[in-house]
Amino acid sequence: MNDMNPKNLDDNEKISALVDGQLSDDDATQAMQALALDDQALARWHAYHLVGDVLRSQELSWGCAKDVDFLTRLRSRLSDESTCAVPVVEHATPEMTVHSSAYPKEAANDASLRWRWATGLASLALFVALGWGMLAGMLASPPPVQLAQPPLPVVPSQASMASDTTDAVLIRDPRLDQLLQAHRQFGGASALQIPSGFVRNATFDRPSQ
Amino acid sequence: MKQPQASTGNDSDLLLVERTRAGDQRAYELLVIKYQRRIQRLIRRMVRDVDLVDDIAQETFIRAYRALHQYRGEAQFYTWLYRIAVNTAKKFLLEFKHDPMARQVSLSVNDEEDETSARLNEPISDETPESILAAKEIATAVNAAMSALPDDLRQAVTLREIEGLTYEEIAAVMDCPIGTVRSRIFRAREAISAKVKPMLEHQSGKRW
Repeated sequence: MNDMNPKNLDDNEKISALVDGQLSDDDATQAMQALALDDQALARWHAYHLVGDVLRSQELSWGCAKDVDFLTRLRSRLSDESTCAVPVVEHATPEMTVHSSAYPKEAANDASLRWRWATGLASLALFVALGWGMLAGMLASPPPVQLAQPPLPVVPSQASMASDTTDAVLIRDPRLDQLLQAHRQFGGASALQIPSGFVRNATFDRPSQ
Repeated sequence: MKQPQASTGNDSDLLLVERTRAGDQRAYELLVIKYQRRIQRLIRRMVRDVDLVDDIAQETFIRAYRALHQYRGEAQFYTWLYRIAVNTAKKFLLEFKHDPMARQVSLSVNDEEDETSARLNEPISDETPESILAAKEIATAVNAAMSALPDDLRQAVTLREIEGLTYEEIAAVMDCPIGTVRSRIFRAREAISAKVKPMLEHQSGKRW
């Protein structure tokens, strides 16, 4: 507040200076006390502000005759409200939020309550994590009950093993070979020098997969 | 060149807020009287039903009263109040949008929160010829009283109310002591109020 240091200011002049925020704290307090006690002072406060508003914008003169009704109605509503007496918290950011509920107050042990909340939440998180792990383990597929022996690996027969290593297995009868040897003139020979004769070698081809 | 800083009277607002917090309801009434017309004008730009304007303005001041402990004084009080008014009006509009009985009456075409935007062309519901005339009478009386002031008073009050200069700055401009500035502004206000107050009492039929 600007330092005006008026010595013998008229109360009304103080009200005018208070409208402009140009009073010392002491004079402002005195002016407010006058405004609290005197309805004419209140009317002066209203008129001064109205004059300023209308000088700045004529639109603000609209409905000003109802200002008294407006204040009377608000006054009756304010009387139902709890007293607005709360210590000012310094260095806090301004809050624009409007609370529709009646006057919220912070608990005296607010800080410790915050720690309790944090501890509780951390415990809950740990419990959920452990529980989830256990639950996931239980829900995973259990080892299947063995109802039958697994099929044994198939051991291929000698012939088929031969068939595996070679495409065809010759099945020869040694007596037949001797006979063919003895009667070569009756036997033919293939291009591979394998006796062919009248008896053809039989081969077994495993069907392809 | 240094631009003169306009005094907003925020210091006295802070003082009134502190007194309100201390339990002085009358201090809050002083804030209401100071800002109600600007708040009502703001809300009138958002809704058209004048009855709703008053309801929203009432609710705005009630909400501000409840939340007054949150006001830190870092912003101007009117800036803080302005936000509450806009939020309150939006809430009302939202509720009315869901009320089929009311939506034909009070919904605004322009729910922007620009206080300086052009006024809606359509008249609001209670803007009767009488109320328009009453407002014009007040404005005319203020302007006529202003014109009738001696030059030094008119200049002092103009520099204060329209230009927003502090007493110290006005004293520098007018080359006179600060006490003289204060006195001139007071006398100018008294002269103008003397013309306006009887009209207000006549229009409202009530006294403060």
